[in-house]
Amino acid sequence: MRLLATLVLEAKPEEDVNKQEILAVFEDAASRPLAYAQAWKDRTGGKVVGSFPMNFPGEIAHAAGTLPMILQESDDAITLGHGLLFPFYCGYTRSMVDQAARQEFNVLDAIMFGDHCVQLLGMADAIRMQLPDTKVIFFQLISSMCDPWTFGRAVESFEVLKNELEEFLGSKISDEAMHESTKIFNRNRQMIRKLYEMRKSGAVSLSAVEMQHIVKSSMIMDKVDHNKLLEQFMAYVEANPEPEPKGIRLHLSGHFCQAPKREVLDMIEDCGAIIVGDDLYHGFRYISTDVDEAGKPVEALAKWYMERNTGVPCPTRVQNDVDWDSFLLKAMEQEKAAGMIVLMAKFCEPHMYYYPEVKEAFEKKGVPHLLIETEHESMAIEGLKTRVETFLEIVKRRQAA
Amino acid sequence: MKSYVMGIDFGSTTAKTVILDLKGRVVSSSVAHMGAVSGDGVKASISNALEQAGITQEDVGRTVSTGYGRRMLDIADKNFTEITCHARGAVAMVPDARLVIDIGGQDSKVIAVDSNGLVAQFAMNDRCAAGTGKFLEVLARAMEIDLEKMGGVALEAKEELKISSMCATFAETEVISLLAEGNTKPNVLGAVHAAIASRTLGLVGRVGKKGPVVMTGGVAKNQAAVHYIEKALGMPLILPETPQIAGALGAALIALDDYRSEHKDELAEMEEDDRLEAQMEFDKSCVPGCKGVPELALTEQEKAAGPAKGKVRTIWEAVQNNL
Repeated sequence: MRLLATLVLEAKPEEDVNKQEILAVFEDAASRPLAYAQAWKDRTGGKVVGSFPMNFPGEIAHAAGTLPMILQESDDAITLGHGLLFPFYCGYTRSMVDQAARQEFNVLDAIMFGDHCVQLLGMADAIRMQLPDTKVIFFQLISSMCDPWTFGRAVESFEVLKNELEEFLGSKISDEAMHESTKIFNRNRQMIRKLYEMRKSGAVSLSAVEMQHIVKSSMIMDKVDHNKLLEQFMAYVEANPEPEPKGIRLHLSGHFCQAPKREVLDMIEDCGAIIVGDDLYHGFRYISTDVDEAGKPVEALAKWYMERNTGVPCPTRVQNDVDWDSFLLKAMEQEKAAGMIVLMAKFCEPHMYYYPEVKEAFEKKGVPHLLIETEHESMAIEGLKTRVETFLEIVKRRQAA
Repeated sequence: MKSYVMGIDFGSTTAKTVILDLKGRVVSSSVAHMGAVSGDGVKASISNALEQAGITQEDVGRTVSTGYGRRMLDIADKNFTEITCHARGAVAMVPDARLVIDIGGQDSKVIAVDSNGLVAQFAMNDRCAAGTGKFLEVLARAMEIDLEKMGGVALEAKEELKISSMCATFAETEVISLLAEGNTKPNVLGAVHAAIASRTLGLVGRVGKKGPVVMTGGVAKNQAAVHYIEKALGMPLILPETPQIAGALGAALIALDDYRSEHKDELAEMEEDDRLEAQMEFDKSCVPGCKGVPELALTEQEKAAGPAKGKVRTIWEAVQNNL
């Protein structure tokens, strides 16, 4: 397989690359993550470490010379996976197990995951049974974020994770390598955050799907290559300003593990909205927080883990001084968003339990929002379109009032 | 400036058209079965409404479309969702309504509205055809009964049976089993309508129960559906005379707002002309031969005493003598 990334990075002089060409590279990697991993493996001879969302410190795996990759939900229908996980598991976990059952994860040398929710734990067990020859490393992250021992526990978890990875790879991961990887990851996050700022201010026109391609490909691609492409992309968009897109400014919220489907995002924008901010995992949540580049690397990761929940709060963590609904309202104010669409993956328990608080806070403030439950299986887009259009008609009317 | 506006509801099983004059009075309305793919039904509905009104499309200043085919109509200047339009139309028909239940061919919706007919909250069926006109259609076929007659038969139910499936196809299987068990058609049809009522109550729960409740859409013409929904809600339903055209009426009212606001200066002038004309008519009543006595020509005492004979003539003569 020839990867677009290789073509663009190696065959074209930098100054000839335009926005759409780089976006096509991001889209290519985002749409075929396992093919990308195989091509990377063939090219470098390195190992690929897959991980599940959402607090996996890719920096450790990168510092060990592997390709860390967040495993992605596939668009394919669930087949063999039906025999392994019940339909009341979320689409992400069912798709992961299905891919494992169909031996599509053979490219992975190891899989790492943390215990973010019960469904992820069940999924990991099912995958372990399907892939007996693949190393599966489990790490436990404390979910109580305010206790005096939270930091210490997080340090311990990341130490265990690092030790297990070193054992699996048969070599030590130096602090220098960790610092270097941290810089590379931070650079990547900073550039994407800048794009978020530019989109918010209207300095760059990026659809929700295009932004998703950028973030999702960052979860998949070699970060050094991704950075190179991002630098070219930033240079291009800064030198070629576009007119500010017109539409009703909306914030997208939800989806902690899987990328929202392209047809849903396109449909929302086709109805007349422009997405100016999000807290999606395949969005701002992934790149919200940097890791300290100095000091002890594992401690820096533990600090990152704790700060990340302030950067974008997560309903799977418990933090008394942070609440997600206030975060969302504040983010929307800064983004000048007139409404919010909540994308809730069926059956994401943390989201389902937290949503009533978000709903109550938004209704109290009089900020319009629309809940859309998403499914792995195809959705009735026409009916959804009617709901989104009605929502936008309500938002428009409130803006006019 | 044109003298009419039009609202078209291009639904999944019927097409509805409403034409209003610029004062918001319904000039004509038409309902046609369709033909959703060919668009023949919608064409028939539009031409019927135009014919009834005695006008042509050229006389229509603004056209707003709604319904599932809203984007397919080239003659529409704008389109709005059926939720927005049904809310507007239902409140125009029943000004006190605060909740609108609309059950159409392919979907059902519950809309909380404000006094201006604007949508505050809404919920739509998101599970196939459960609780819609299509659900009734499928089950009428399964029970070999005319769709129009099934409501009347269902009202004869003596026993409460239950259909629990959310899916029209599985509900059909349940209906066949109930009939095979020896249950009567009225009892089974009662259960079919109770199932629709239960889905509707589920949507009401999502929006919040409040009243008065108005029901629109084709299913509002089915007496059994109305009866079972009223029973499930524990509240009466207000039924407009023509529940099917609520969406088209809402669309026409939105078209009217839009057109009036675009032509507000001309309309203000026209209204001023109308006012002056009316005043002139009124003043003309002071001339000899007129039958009425203008109120303004009388003092309070004269009004209290009733019209004085010959008074107007006296004034007129006095005026003429002084010319």
